[in-house]
Amino acid sequence: MMLSLKNISKKYDDTTILEDISFTCEKGDIVGLIGSSGSGKTTLLRIISGLETPDSGTIKLNNEMVNDKLLCKSPEKRDCSLVFQDFALFPNMTISDNIFFGKGSIKNNELIQELIKFCDLENLLDRYPHEISGGEQQRVALVRALSINPSLLLLDEPLSHLDNDLKQNIRNELIKIFEKVKTTTLFVSHDIEDAMTMANKVVVLKDGLVEQKGSPSDIYSRPLNRYVAKLFGKTNIVAASHAPKSYHRFFDEFLNEDAVSIRPHQIELVTSKSLKYKTAIDGKIISKKFYGSFQEIIVKSEELSLAIHLEPERKIKIGDKIKFCMDL
Amino acid sequence: MEIKHVKNELLFKTNSWTFIAILIGLIIFLPISEVFIQLFNPSESWPHLKKTVFSTYLINTIVLTIGTGLLSTLIGVFCAWVIACCEFPLKKFFEWALILPLAIPTYVSAYAYFDILELSNPILIWVRENINLEAMQSLNSFFVYFFTILVLSSVLYPYIYLLARASFLKQGNQLIEAGLSLGHNINEIFWKIALPMARPAVFAGLSLVIMETLNDYGAVKHFGIPTFTSGIFRTWLGMGDMSGALKLAAYLMLLILILLLIEKKARSRARYHENSGSNKPFKKIILSRKKSIVTIALCSIPFLFGFLIPVFRLSLWAFISQDVIRNISLLSLVKNSLFLSVAVSLLTVVLALLLVFSAKYFQSKLTSFTNRFAILGYSVPGAVIAMGILLLSAQINKIYVDIILTGSLLILIFAFITRFFAVAWQPIDSGMEKNCKNINDASRSLGIPAIFSLIKVNIPLIKNTLITASILVFIDSMKELPLTLILRPFNFNTLSTATFDLSSQAQIVESSIPALCIIMIVAIPLISLNLKGKNKLQ
Repeated sequence: MMLSLKNISKKYDDTTILEDISFTCEKGDIVGLIGSSGSGKTTLLRIISGLETPDSGTIKLNNEMVNDKLLCKSPEKRDCSLVFQDFALFPNMTISDNIFFGKGSIKNNELIQELIKFCDLENLLDRYPHEISGGEQQRVALVRALSINPSLLLLDEPLSHLDNDLKQNIRNELIKIFEKVKTTTLFVSHDIEDAMTMANKVVVLKDGLVEQKGSPSDIYSRPLNRYVAKLFGKTNIVAASHAPKSYHRFFDEFLNEDAVSIRPHQIELVTSKSLKYKTAIDGKIISKKFYGSFQEIIVKSEELSLAIHLEPERKIKIGDKIKFCMDL
Repeated sequence: MEIKHVKNELLFKTNSWTFIAILIGLIIFLPISEVFIQLFNPSESWPHLKKTVFSTYLINTIVLTIGTGLLSTLIGVFCAWVIACCEFPLKKFFEWALILPLAIPTYVSAYAYFDILELSNPILIWVRENINLEAMQSLNSFFVYFFTILVLSSVLYPYIYLLARASFLKQGNQLIEAGLSLGHNINEIFWKIALPMARPAVFAGLSLVIMETLNDYGAVKHFGIPTFTSGIFRTWLGMGDMSGALKLAAYLMLLILILLLIEKKARSRARYHENSGSNKPFKKIILSRKKSIVTIALCSIPFLFGFLIPVFRLSLWAFISQDVIRNISLLSLVKNSLFLSVAVSLLTVVLALLLVFSAKYFQSKLTSFTNRFAILGYSVPGAVIAMGILLLSAQINKIYVDIILTGSLLILIFAFITRFFAVAWQPIDSGMEKNCKNINDASRSLGIPAIFSLIKVNIPLIKNTLITASILVFIDSMKELPLTLILRPFNFNTLSTATFDLSSQAQIVESSIPALCIIMIVAIPLISLNLKGKNKLQ
């Protein structure tokens, strides 16, 4: 096991930041720590890197205890490396100096040269951080963190400040780099797409508590509660009685009964020709929004109000009476 | 702090860096704590002092402080507002000329105006002849206060001017424009928006003015107003009563503590108003011709009285007493002053850097906590610190008889560090907070030893701040008088003590030569700081 957290808790004054956090990462894992702002995810990352001290709990890194009751290994001595949200490149040093500043990085010269080539940084080595673009700074920060060949790579919101276009590119680059170096990686993000595309394991945090952990597809299709379901994209939470065929259910406190999460694309409009016509539910379109690649309608039936995604070409208007069935 | 935090601190965050930093912080604080303890120590002469002079000292000190504070605020805020927000001929000149009075120590200003009280003579004579002697006496004491406050304010207002100006500039004009669009005129906007927003800065400047007023010895002695500081001198150097002087010093500290608490309260309430403006530069208000003339006239007054007239008079006196230069061995005075100030400024900056770095790099709350104690010295008048140091060295001498600390240069330098530590600490602290926070976390995460991080990253990044800090300490050290007077080694004279000694021997004219030297040596770095846009406020 590369990283194992047990019952990590942290409070600032009277505010609980983290409570009883436990999870593990295997060697080679890419773990996404997902949560909205204020969920405590960055604090957790800083605790793992040693920059913050937890109030209680233990952390084992690469089979070595780094945090327990009487021990808190200083960040300098931990076998992990953190990439900061704002990169924290040393502004007074060239890119090359930045990359080779890490302790013992000279020993990993071969790896670093390879990474520099791979990340297309060869022509930037003599520049200063303020002279290169945001995407380039990101890559420099990553290479710098990898230069000490850490067992665990930590990334704090690696894509949060990039605009959408760049985000896609950098995400692809990151995935390529992760595949290349095969370092165990733990990243923090509030963007569910990051988790879905980059991670093979996701830990969902809310208000300092772990809500769910598992593979991205697993969490997407089998959320354990309303929060996780909604975090992973637009969804309809309906009482399980309306979807008797659905096998994954959870107890929903808001409805006070078992519920299921039905994604908008899982609902189908049916025409009179369809075999499902008889079992379909009657509804009326009460609003319509156009999103480009799809349109979203809100349909109200006797007991439900549901969001449905339709292909953009479909001709419908508010007030239309339709029939739909939930395709689970 | 909760127990778990204490545990975290002691177990995980104490290393050789933080340990040394905590130790140094406490040592710097030691002289002040020595004095403070005296509040609770019995003293034989205290009942007598309390009965005779205590209330006079207290009232005089408070009257002087309030008067100087008010007048300095008036001048400082007015100048700051017109310079920051208005456009008029000669503005560029006044922008830096209004800072120059800072080059003149309060006692030098007092000597330059040594005969200012004579101005009131005709009125006093008239009152004596037409009303009675009593009326004349009370009018006379009013004039003494009035002129002393005038003399002190004329060289202390720049503290408020500098801080308020920076605050006005930072506000930007978005809120001002909002006020204008809501139908207010510029006067209403000043009172309702700009001034309330600048309140924290004005208070910070005001507290510096108050500390300097409390610290002053030369001016109040010259004008014959017995304050706490002059009382400490009188009791210790005049009557040789150490315990009485210590007790006075302790009560002065108490007064300062109360002032600090008031200031903290006033500032924390005002904090809401800070920084809400945009960073767009202020769109200057262009003054009409008539208003420009009035503004220029008003700005000239503090510059004339605070700088031009004193410098002019001193130069005149220096010119007519040239031959004195040989008697006072000017060169060795300059050498001593420069040596002391340079040594103090370098040491203070190095120590401040070490303490700030240890606290921030290792995120040690305990070190931050002891740092806060170490910076208290700047609020404490030199005479009080000197008493604390005397007591401290006496205690050390009791244990180690061989070391004679009192009257050594080492102890004088240590006293200066205690007094001016905050001057270096504050800019370094905010500079490191602004420039090095994440960067230090990054170096830790990369496994770099702290010393490399300090030398290769932190120092290069805050180089300018370090230079500014050392210049600020240098300026303050050059002007310092009470500490040096009490603690100077035998036969060790600086420009400031020579100025004081000569003028107290009624050789005011001759004292102009060392006084002018101080002004010249201080004015150069002061102007250079202003050119760089750096000053005490950072």
